[in-house]
Amino acid sequence: MLPKATPREELLTNLRAAYARMWVRLRGSNREITGLVAEIGLPILTIGAYVILYRAIGLPPTAGAAVIIGGAMIAFWTNVLWNMSSQWFWERESGNLEMYLVAPVSRMSVLLGMAMGGSVNTSIRALGIVLLGIFVFQVPFQLADPLSVGLVFVLTLVALYTMGMLFASIFMLYGREAWNTANLLQEPVYFLSGAYFPRIYAPVVPFAVQAAGSLIPMTIGLDAIRRLAINGESIATVWPHILALIACTLILFPLARRALNYMESLGKKEGRLTLRWQ
Amino acid sequence: MAVADFVKSAGESFRVGWKIESNWTDPVLFATYQVIRPLASLLIVAFIVIIGAAAGASQNPAFYTQYLAWLIVGNAFYAFVLQIMLGMAILVHVDRTRYEVLKNIYISPGTLHPYVIGRGLVSVVNGAVSVILTLLFSVAIFNGLLHMNIPLNLLNVNLLMLIPAVILGIISLLAIGYMLCAVNIVSNRMEFILGDSVSGIFFLLGGVIFPIALLPSYVQPISNVLPITYLLNAVRESFGLLPTASYVSDLAYLALTTLVTMIIGITVFRLAEQRAKKLGLFDRKSEY
Repeated sequence: MLPKATPREELLTNLRAAYARMWVRLRGSNREITGLVAEIGLPILTIGAYVILYRAIGLPPTAGAAVIIGGAMIAFWTNVLWNMSSQWFWERESGNLEMYLVAPVSRMSVLLGMAMGGSVNTSIRALGIVLLGIFVFQVPFQLADPLSVGLVFVLTLVALYTMGMLFASIFMLYGREAWNTANLLQEPVYFLSGAYFPRIYAPVVPFAVQAAGSLIPMTIGLDAIRRLAINGESIATVWPHILALIACTLILFPLARRALNYMESLGKKEGRLTLRWQ
Repeated sequence: MAVADFVKSAGESFRVGWKIESNWTDPVLFATYQVIRPLASLLIVAFIVIIGAAAGASQNPAFYTQYLAWLIVGNAFYAFVLQIMLGMAILVHVDRTRYEVLKNIYISPGTLHPYVIGRGLVSVVNGAVSVILTLLFSVAIFNGLLHMNIPLNLLNVNLLMLIPAVILGIISLLAIGYMLCAVNIVSNRMEFILGDSVSGIFFLLGGVIFPIALLPSYVQPISNVLPITYLLNAVRESFGLLPTASYVSDLAYLALTTLVTMIIGITVFRLAEQRAKKLGLFDRKSEY
């Protein structure tokens, strides 16, 4: 019988697993330059259409700046959907899921690695989107407190990718519905998060839409980042946002852990963990 | 290949495609999935216009309701673009890498052409469902629920103007989808970006959410050679939303651009097919 690992050894093994999964993600996503160019260039097409629409209806240029930040944040949501939530589905389809399950590490460390790699990758793309957007559309920003923006941004990513971990667990046993569900969660979330609006928390937006949108960490983070980076507001005005983002993370993380254990156990009982081509 | 055989093969392909696309769930949930995405897109642009109206950006309130009607129709029919581009862009990858059946389809007597057309027609049906449901929901939400009095009467649509435009538009989109399949046959790096790229270009340049006259002048010539531009013009004319435009001229341009797109599509597909056969690409595995 193998000796039981100490908590320190266990932690180190899991951290190594997270690092390994992050490394694969970073390497896999950046080795193909066409992908990188497309992931920066494609959102600019949509952002461009909305910026022109804003001009058509006579809204001020700051609305264009809001759309650029929204477009950049959408890159994270897309990454969470397709590269976090659907990941166990892809792994099962390509026959890797069983290898993850027999590895002597926590599944959460694998998800953590995916999240770290995904957030670094997408940050590079989001920066590209913002810079290209500013260059092409010449919109104004009022960045008075970059540190606060950085803090809110990091908290948003942590909450968002924790939500991705929860989704990954739920998507684990999906067949073709994984693809359809990920598709379904795109435009409705773009709408609810107000990514393409100047502001979601405005009187003209129905309360039900604002309330539903507030269940998505991106909505809260996006509003705070816009206040800080476009309106030039101070961190004192976005404290409720910061608390809400921390609360999201604290609620979603244990939920993700429980959901993952439950879905894995259900998959074992029903024999669906290695089922392909459903 | 006889026309009857082509039609039969395309029909079988449609049947297979329809099952793959729809039988993972029950019909009600499937229809819900089909409508939520385009409806959410519509709500995004509609709310932008409503926010503009609330901010009092224009002095003329009628401008917003007319613009919303124009926008609803453009956005609803853009569902054809999204469905066909995204569906056909991923087709080769799914059949070659995921289900590993592309080689079997290629060596069957039916050839790839009717197969691709049949699968493309599934996207057309999905698009049609999205268009109809989006239009119905739009009227229900904006006129029924929000009492915005948008000048959009679905019972007054001129079907004699609408149907030829939609048929030509669908043929042109299938021809473009054909090109996307061709690119994917010879490449294994583009399947996840091609559909989004082409539909994104059409969204920006095709007059979906704003008139193309608002684009920078150096980009407008590109809009003027896209079939989607004339498709949306002709469709809006059939809804009575472009009173000063010329339907006949738009339909003629749509027919011309469709013909050119078909010729390019078939040529590109044949070239890709020859290259794939020469290099043995029909059974290439590319997932890692």
